[in-house]
Amino acid sequence: MALDPESARLLAKGIATITMGGSGIGEGYLIGKALEAMGRNPEMEGSLFTKMLIGVAMAESTAIYALVAFFIL
Amino acid sequence: MNFLQVAGDIPSLQPPVLFHIGSWPITSSLMLIWLILLLTIVVVRVLFKILSLRPGIYQNIFEVLYESMLKLVDQITSSRKISEKIFPLIATLFLFIGVSNLITLIPGLTSLTYNGKEIFRSPTTDFNTTFALALAMLILIQVQSIRDWGIFGYIGRFIQIKPLILSFKQGLGAGLTAFINFLIGFLDIVSEIAKVVSLSMRLFGNIFAGEVLTVIIMAGLAYALPAVWMAMGILTGVVQALVFGSLVAAYYTISLNPGKQAAGN
Repeated sequence: MALDPESARLLAKGIATITMGGSGIGEGYLIGKALEAMGRNPEMEGSLFTKMLIGVAMAESTAIYALVAFFIL
Repeated sequence: MNFLQVAGDIPSLQPPVLFHIGSWPITSSLMLIWLILLLTIVVVRVLFKILSLRPGIYQNIFEVLYESMLKLVDQITSSRKISEKIFPLIATLFLFIGVSNLITLIPGLTSLTYNGKEIFRSPTTDFNTTFALALAMLILIQVQSIRDWGIFGYIGRFIQIKPLILSFKQGLGAGLTAFINFLIGFLDIVSEIAKVVSLSMRLFGNIFAGEVLTVIIMAGLAYALPAVWMAMGILTGVVQALVFGSLVAAYYTISLNPGKQAAGN
């Protein structure tokens, strides 16, 4: 199966975008745990929310690497 | 394009070069960095002229900002002394990155063109800016770590030969644990480089992707839909500035020598 460079490039772009799914699963788990902790202990809500936001940004970063690879290809 | 869609060109990875001073190219993001610097100088000059013990509205805003940022850094470093030491750095990072992420919301600022190239472009959409910031932070943290641990202690954090020799005398089990720690010490060197790459790519990727998607959404439907995406862009800009500042504070804190800190150095 011979691929010319242009179609190989498009295929590579597509494969790079699939990897963002894992980040979605991770972030959903993280937010779920944070909501559960907020339900157990409602007075720590503000502090937990800030930390959750930082955690979501960190988990998002893997998806952002894939997006940058997509733009570079 | 028809009435409902607005065509625009997708921003390139490299910012456009406007002119040269000597042999140094001046790009669009550099022009906006200068504008932000000018704005900061003007705001601070006005603020310092009206400082008083009974604050008005203008001073109150800055005091609230100061207190909330100090509390955030306190939560990360869990020591008031370290917070006050690195607070100017973290606050500068937070404000600079926050302003440069949000400044393209001012209407018309990115539409000014010179010879067909845009004059102003947000500096964090340029990988040069984010990489320079991350590299500078890495060098700062390594220098501070050398200062705290001494040069041999610093190398000893990565190549842990001493605990290896000491614990083999205690017994085989402790010796094997120390051997694994020895290998992990080498991995720490790689992780320092990974910190630079991850810090710079996270900031660049978020903001650059936001700009590209704004252009694409405006080519889809130019009424009401871009506003939703731009609101998301505001949230992303502020959160990314927060994350950059907090991560630098966290890396700084874990690179210090806890014994020296506890002794009141």
